[in-house]
This record gives sequence, structure tokens and C-alpha cells, in this order.
Amino acid sequence: MFALLEESGFTRVRSAVVPGFRFRKTSTQNSAEAYGVKAVMMTALKPATG
Amino acid sequence: MSDAADVQASLEAVLKDEIVRMYQEVADNPRQEFHFYHGREAAERFGYAREWLDSAPAGAVASFAGVGNPHERSDLRPGETVLDLGSGAGLDAIIAARAVGPKGKVIGVDLNPSMCGRAQAHAAESGTPMECRKGRIEDIPVADSSVDVVISNGVINLSFRKRRVVQEMFRVLKPGGRLSITDIVSAKQLSQSIVNDPKLWAS
Repeated sequence: MFALLEESGFTRVRSAVVPGFRFRKTSTQNSAEAYGVKAVMMTALKPATG
Repeated sequence: MSDAADVQASLEAVLKDEIVRMYQEVADNPRQEFHFYHGREAAERFGYAREWLDSAPAGAVASFAGVGNPHERSDLRPGETVLDLGSGAGLDAIIAARAVGPKGKVIGVDLNPSMCGRAQAHAAESGTPMECRKGRIEDIPVADSSVDVVISNGVINLSFRKRRVVQEMFRVLKPGGRLSITDIVSAKQLSQSIVNDPKLWAS
């Protein structure tokens, strides 16, 4: 997502992991961790000009 | 259309139905347990202010199915126009509407017209009107360069065409506009068995 935002023209792309996110079911959480799944917060700007 | 494009189109259609079904289920039966946290429990986990939750309609809070808090860094200002992609039962739109005030505007977009109706009813109940448009995040039903801020919470990951979604967000934002989204990302390529299973993908 981070790369997609930059490639699409957004600037000042920032991301941070959402600390409280996890799946309720342990089995789902374990599978998610195996795939490196996490929740992130992203912010970005559309340039004012150009 | 190539065979691969046919397969993708077919999977997308099935996925769309599964997404509508799953999030309708959360809204219709919020007391049910899902494999993800939802409702007030989830919102509190992500740092939603107690006053936001106490003052929003109970149905909007109970149906909340986000993965984070896009308001934490949205820096909404009075008078701004906000677009909420995948507005669901309306909690994030209601919070945004309070921030932008009566001179601002909040537009929600949701695949499911029934959820749009519910979001608008919740917003009206809270005294913070919003407009919800039925549509896809890959073809946002909003004019070019017309919104100040895009927010979204746990929705973009559900799309097979994320690049298209990002391009659409860029299109609808005014020059100098910004986005504040929370979503699920994966460090590894998901296996084909997950990609081909709408129930897993939708969750």
C-alpha cells in the first residue's frame, strides 16, 4: 500500500502499526502472524500543485 | 477477455457478495462473535474517545468493524468535505461529521445500499447528517478534486484492485487534500488458496 500511494502521486506518505489490532480467534491470529499480517495507519497528501 | 481476467472477474463478483453478506451479518447480529473484534470493544482497543462512543447511536457503535482509528491523524477542520470509503453503519462518518461541523460535509460510500440507509439513519439520529452513496471503492461515485480528506477503515484490503482504489482516492481529492486510513497489510504474498476463497479474503 505504501508503494502504491507513492506511485500514484501521493507525497508525505507515512505509516505506523496499529498497536491494538489482533484477531479474536487464536488460530486466525496465528495464521495472520505467519503471513506478516498487521493493521497499519497511513497518511498521505495529494500535492497542491503539479 | 483472457481466461485470467475471466477468473479474476468471477472471483471479484463472488467476493463482493461475500463482503456484503459478512458486514451485513455484523450489523444485523452485533452480539454474535466473529473472528475479528467489533463494536465498542474494538473501538476502545483502537483509542476511540469515550465521548465519541457514548454520544453515537448504539447501532452505529455495535456494528463498528474497523481495524484502527483513522481519526487519530486525520486532523479534520470545520468546513471540510470528508469522504469515508466503506462507511458501513456510519460510526466513522458520524465522528467526522462532528469534527467538520455544519459547514462541512461527509460523504460515505458503501457497496451495500442497506448499509448506506443504516448509516444515514444513524447519522440523522445523532444530528450529524451525512450522505451515503452506493458504489465501489474502485469506481468512487464522487467528482474529481472535490474532497478535502479521505478516511477509510479496514476496507481497501478487501479489494482485488488496490492500485485502482489508490488512483481513485487521488482523483477525488482536491490538490493539497489528504488521506488518513487504517487497513490490513500483509508482508508476504497470500497463498492462492486464500486468494481463491472469498470467505477468507473477505475476513
